[in-house]
Amino acid sequence: MIKVNSGLIDKIKIDENFNASACFNCGTCSALCPVGFDILPRKLFRYVLLGDEEKILESTDQIFSCLLCRMCEEQCPQEVNITENIRLIRSYLAKSKLGV
Amino acid sequence: MSDKIGVFVCYCGGNISDFVDVEKVKDTISGEEGVAFAKTNMFTCSDSAQTEMINAIKEKNLDGIVIASCSPKLHLKTFQNMAQRAGLNPYQYTQVNIREQCSWAHTHNKEAATEKAIDLVRAGIAKTRNSIPLNPLRVNTVNQALIIGGGISGLRCALALSEMGIFAHVVEKESKIGGNLNDIGIIFPDHKNGYELIEELEKDIKKRANINIYTNAKLIKKQGSVGNFECDIVSGNEKLTLNVGSIILTTGFKPYTPEPNELGYGHPNVITLVDFKKLLSNNSKKGELIFNGQRVREITYVYCVGSRESTKEDGNKYCSRYCCSAANYTSLLAFDIDPKLKQYHIYRDIRTYGKYEEYYEENLRRGALFFKYDEENPPDISSKGERIKILVKDRLIAKDDILIPCDLLVLVNGMVANENAELNNILKTPIGKDKFYNEIHPKLRPVETVIDGIFIAGTSQGPKNISESVTSSMAAASKTASLLIKGYVNIEPTIAHVIEEKCTGCKLCEHSCPYEAISFVNKTDKVIADINPAICKGCGGCVPDCPEDALEVLGYTHSQINSMIDSMLLEAKEC
Repeated sequence: MIKVNSGLIDKIKIDENFNASACFNCGTCSALCPVGFDILPRKLFRYVLLGDEEKILESTDQIFSCLLCRMCEEQCPQEVNITENIRLIRSYLAKSKLGV
Repeated sequence: MSDKIGVFVCYCGGNISDFVDVEKVKDTISGEEGVAFAKTNMFTCSDSAQTEMINAIKEKNLDGIVIASCSPKLHLKTFQNMAQRAGLNPYQYTQVNIREQCSWAHTHNKEAATEKAIDLVRAGIAKTRNSIPLNPLRVNTVNQALIIGGGISGLRCALALSEMGIFAHVVEKESKIGGNLNDIGIIFPDHKNGYELIEELEKDIKKRANINIYTNAKLIKKQGSVGNFECDIVSGNEKLTLNVGSIILTTGFKPYTPEPNELGYGHPNVITLVDFKKLLSNNSKKGELIFNGQRVREITYVYCVGSRESTKEDGNKYCSRYCCSAANYTSLLAFDIDPKLKQYHIYRDIRTYGKYEEYYEENLRRGALFFKYDEENPPDISSKGERIKILVKDRLIAKDDILIPCDLLVLVNGMVANENAELNNILKTPIGKDKFYNEIHPKLRPVETVIDGIFIAGTSQGPKNISESVTSSMAAASKTASLLIKGYVNIEPTIAHVIEEKCTGCKLCEHSCPYEAISFVNKTDKVIADINPAICKGCGGCVPDCPEDALEVLGYTHSQINSMIDSMLLEAKEC
């Protein structure tokens, strides 16, 4: 069970460009991802929006393995800034969780 | 009586002739009593065949015709018009259906199909032989209309009628006009408050001399028929009789009220969409949404409450159409008050159709979250003090269960029909399974009812948003105008008829008529039944109830029906 934590999104969304909420979960991005992690980026964004920090931390490796190739972003029907969003999530993790 | 009958048997380009021996049919029936001319056609409905038939009717002086072809649903009017052009009375024409009833139905047995076709054509000839010429009845119309229900549909309809020079009487049961719009809050798409729209209409109505509004009013009695109804209404303590040509029902809807404990309803922090909209329009504090003195930070919406209940017995099976758009629009209004709000939408399908899709997209952009549920797994609601907890299975990611805590739960409630039992008892308007009024044809005749002169519009017919309601009320206004402006209506003459010498006035027929067309009148020596031609539909329901055979339907008289049966049983008698 995931408990919605509405506070987390405000911490990650330090930048106006973070627009994961426009995602309507079509899955085009996951199908195109050359790395092939099933969490990227559709489920990851959903976890971020729901505020499930545990699930995000579990996926730290996958988040940092993203190539930022923009294949998904080019094809996104909702014009989600996918790579920018990933960067913001990385930055949140680096600062608050990984002590970088 | 026709004794120079022309019979035309159609090949239908093989549709009939592949399985029915069309030539044999023609040869067999050409010797029937009264037949003066018989012919086959490849396509009887073609222009050239129609011209040939008209020439034959004129040259041979025919006084009745029978065409054996397809279903009368397809070409009865075509051939009635053809008969009329040839100078015949259209009711001395009989169409026999040997396509749907013979060739298409009995492809496995050509001989039997041909025999059946011969019997049917023979019956058709008997019917024409005993036919009498009939003329359409003309009823003068009153240039006034009665509108029942003074909501947006009724008021807009009254204005449209007034513009066309038709006097409109609007009967409203409440003490003020406006209906549901009076306290619906701000409405899409023009961001006005509902009562402002009503005020605009009211201002316009006051300028006009040919609209009367009656409040605290209801219809108590209706007499008469299309073009000329006599309606008794009570308005407050006043009783008056209105003479109108048509009646338009714009009785509207009421918002669905959830059952106690349905999705937590009854808890002070669980409210309906309608109540939430009122809350929003009364919220005076900028930047904060206040409910019961507390600031609201998290709101959850549950959709399809009281709609699309496909598994619940006696549930509302329909979609209420307006609620997805309204809930998404309301969510945007809430964001306008406090952009930091967290809003969660738990939906079954998002149906923000047409232009209103923008509201959904805008909600996604502004950070509202959407969760899809199925009817089998509705969200589970629990509460702890003022906090509400909602457990829902998220179908978008790996079917995880999601727990949403929130301050306010909004149930997106649909529309249900107003019951109007008293009114329906007076007007006998047909009601569908969903308890809304039924139109004759959902696509082609969307605002007419089976009762001539009674129209339906707005949400009395089924869930609609405001623009759709107004569109249908405009349609009802123009249907009314096309009925009344001409000054008279023509009515099909195939209606019930009382054979005066036979009628004993026993009144057995009185309750057999679903349209209440039968009354009783004093004749010199006795009381007999009397049919109101404008109300009678010619259904024939009264005919078998009469012990004296004193009732018959014109165009289907006793002599016609008996002779048809006799001619179909000809072979049986011979055996």
